Amino acid sequence: MNTLFTALVIILAGGALALLFVRRFVLMKMATIVTTSTGCIIGLIYSISHLLGYEATIEKSWNWLHFFTLAFKIDSISLFFLVPIFTISPLALMYSFHYMENTEKALRTAVNYFFFAVLVASMALVVTAANMITFVLAWELMSLSSYFLVVFDYQVKENRQAGYLYFIFAQGGAMLLFTAFALLYHYTGSFDFSSFSSIPEGPKLLIFILAFIGFGSKAGIFPLHIWLPKAHPAAPSHISAIMSGVMIKMGIYGIFRMYLLLDAATPLIGQIVLVVGMVTGILGVVYALAKQDIKELLAYSSVENIGIILIGLGIGMVGVSEKNQAMAFFGFAGAFLHVFNHSIFKSLLFMGAGAVLHKAKSKNIDQLGGLMKRMPITGKTFLAGSVAISGLPPFSGFIGEFLIYYGAFYGVSNHRIPFILAILAIVTLAVIGGLATACFTKVVGLAFLGEPRTEKAAKATEAGLSINLVMIFMAIVCLVIGVIPEPFIRLSFAGIKVIPYTAGYNTQDFMVIVDHISQTAAFFIGLVFFIGLLRKFLYKKKEIGSGGTWGCGFTQPTVRMQYTGTSYAAEMIDFYRPFVPTKTNYTGINKIFPGKTTWDTKVEDVAEIYYQRYLTQPLLKVMNNLRWIQHGKIQLYIAYIVLTIIILLCLL
Amino acid sequence: MESIFSFCFAILIAPLLPAVIQKTKAFFAGKQGPPLLINYYTLIKLFKKGSVYSTSTSFVFQMGPVVGCATSLMMLLFFPLAGAAPIFSFHGDVLILFYLMGLGRFFTILAALDTASPFEGMGAAREAFFSTLAEATVFGILVLFYRLSGSLSFAEFFSSTSAITLSGTHTALLVLVFIALYIVMLTENSRVPVDDPATHLELTMIHEVMILDHSGPDLALIELGAWFKLLFYSAFLTRIVDLFHFQNFWLSSLYFYAVVTFIYVTIGTVESITARLKMNMVPKFILTPFALVFFATILTMELIK
Repeated sequence: MNTLFTALVIILAGGALALLFVRRFVLMKMATIVTTSTGCIIGLIYSISHLLGYEATIEKSWNWLHFFTLAFKIDSISLFFLVPIFTISPLALMYSFHYMENTEKALRTAVNYFFFAVLVASMALVVTAANMITFVLAWELMSLSSYFLVVFDYQVKENRQAGYLYFIFAQGGAMLLFTAFALLYHYTGSFDFSSFSSIPEGPKLLIFILAFIGFGSKAGIFPLHIWLPKAHPAAPSHISAIMSGVMIKMGIYGIFRMYLLLDAATPLIGQIVLVVGMVTGILGVVYALAKQDIKELLAYSSVENIGIILIGLGIGMVGVSEKNQAMAFFGFAGAFLHVFNHSIFKSLLFMGAGAVLHKAKSKNIDQLGGLMKRMPITGKTFLAGSVAISGLPPFSGFIGEFLIYYGAFYGVSNHRIPFILAILAIVTLAVIGGLATACFTKVVGLAFLGEPRTEKAAKATEAGLSINLVMIFMAIVCLVIGVIPEPFIRLSFAGIKVIPYTAGYNTQDFMVIVDHISQTAAFFIGLVFFIGLLRKFLYKKKEIGSGGTWGCGFTQPTVRMQYTGTSYAAEMIDFYRPFVPTKTNYTGINKIFPGKTTWDTKVEDVAEIYYQRYLTQPLLKVMNNLRWIQHGKIQLYIAYIVLTIIILLCLL
Repeated sequence: MESIFSFCFAILIAPLLPAVIQKTKAFFAGKQGPPLLINYYTLIKLFKKGSVYSTSTSFVFQMGPVVGCATSLMMLLFFPLAGAAPIFSFHGDVLILFYLMGLGRFFTILAALDTASPFEGMGAAREAFFSTLAEATVFGILVLFYRLSGSLSFAEFFSSTSAITLSGTHTALLVLVFIALYIVMLTENSRVPVDDPATHLELTMIHEVMILDHSGPDLALIELGAWFKLLFYSAFLTRIVDLFHFQNFWLSSLYFYAVVTFIYVTIGTVESITARLKMNMVPKFILTPFALVFFATILTMELIK
């Protein structure tokens, strides 16, 4: 425990150093990055060694302000969630060295590094907190620091709005969370987490749902996700990486922790989580497919992956309530592994998008193209990340999904509702996989392949060294997890070892399968190499020409004739129409000699539309009617205060 | 040994069988049709050639055929062809295999988009769309098979004690699965009524338009991959039929390839007597088998306790 706190202190010290050295730009970056990364690496070594060792849970508490107790407890779940926090943070920091290059924004960059360090430390505190006070403190610290990270470019109006939206969702979620905690406190009279399970069965479901919505707004479950596609394009790319890769997983951690602490008997909890996961997964990926802004698309893809993780957790919870140990075990383990895998490939993709934005000056797919030749390293690593996130072997995404599938297939032997849910989960995962393939072939195929659609894209060059090194490292990790999954699977098994129901499940048979997967993946790579060599041999001493793409005899092709993101996704979006409304503006041709005609189409988020229609607008109406309360006369404001005090005195 | 022999034989015969489809179609059209060995001639011709690459393309364009061919080969390596056990097999292999097929598709689509051609973009978009729908059916079938046999590998699905055969106790369910899988086969292998390999417009449709810019050995690899894939699907169908059991390896191989050939003949027949669907009808067509499989799976709720 002390090691962990030392690590956190070093991390925070790194953040403080940034503020100290604000006048020496490069020194500031180096000092912060080195110090904070050192802290993270100490933390990483601590969490992995404890996770794989057989340590019991560690507890520690302090008195704070004579009244509150700050209590921390580290069990295997906390340790597991610490791993992505401490893995991604130093990588994101290293990436930022060549990403944050604008010396004019030195002060802002320093503040950014400071809040980055606060965010990392607060996330570590969230997963180790052992009572409500500690948890809420850490949680708010996390929300606030990430808010400041999002509004880095606060001069841009959209970014301020995005930050504001994020703030509302973070605090709205926290409000529900506090309600859940208040209800719990009402029953137990204690702030301690361990007392939760002692409350009566009745209110448990309500408390869970409140907490689920509260944590869900952080994780980005549908329809509480709408801040993600706004905040991610606004934030700098390494911030998007850490927020999407790690911070939203804190929501998952909260949901899972709450589930374990409540220990409710009702099967509804698992079923709700599973169904929400399926809806989130499918709609997330469909919206991702519909978007042309790479970072927005990646944000929606995070929503999809949260869906997959929830499907895994849901399978596990249903397994627990159905007394199906194997189903529970693999569901939880799959969800955990996917948390880890997603943190890596999603960060990689956001970093790739950042490099593209930096060099090609656009993140809109319809303005890019041909980047594979101009930015080969970014292109290849992005390709690796895309294969991984589509869940395709031999990359990492497949392994987590395989575990979830495996658990779900155990659920097929259940009866009635759990059986139907298991089938739906399997089919949903398959559909999500297919759509994710479509979505990421779109990004890679249109942004990185083909011909550049704009001047700027044509002039793009490779990004800086630190950016490339980090992306290469992450791409290799994605491949390694796919080919040698065993240690990572063991890590996720170790992560769930404190769950009472699945403890002691015999994984020997499964490890044989893992071996086979590993061999199959290796064999497949060998086969690809073999066929590649065969191809080389066949092309030996052959005439290899080059020319334009065959255009059906058309002699004046332009780059604008390429398929665009919109046209690529159009048919698929149309298929999901009621859930994915498309808005088309067409001025029409209505004169004999038509003038300038415009046509544009965009996909709107159905959740956003409904929020506006049924929440914001009525709320604004009511508030407009109450405007007379705010009149700006100070004496009347004082009267308000007096009145309030009198009413309170009467009531109490 | 039998496994390896069986696998090699499948690879060798895979180019022959599609000629059966062409012969069938020729028969319906009242023509003589190409010789049965046409595909071997095509292969040799393509292997001898060089290639012309578009200046728009990158290394991904050249990777497409290699990955596509490798994934199709993987399917055959894990599938119990004829009477023999597959070369490789483990519990859960179906999942990795169907996902590998997804990987093949991923790279085929990318190779198509790499050419910067609007035609190939259109084909790629259709391929991506239709395969997501077909994937749902495939996994529905896997759920049903798991329910029936308790296993997740091709070898176990069709082991001698398994319930997955038309001559077993679940004939009615498997008839539904057979029809569903047949439709999936037509979809995944770009046959009529989803796609037309002879490609007469609707802007050249799906598979053929995606490979317009490939030539020489690259094209040969793509063709090989397509033939292996078709053989895999028809072998899958054949193993479900499996009306007779032979102890003798040779007899069962003979029977197996007879049924496979028959399935190819039916594909040819379907292509001769049905028109291709309009593109906007295709999703409905592909969702039909999903409905069938889902229905069959629901039926098992009461049948199998």
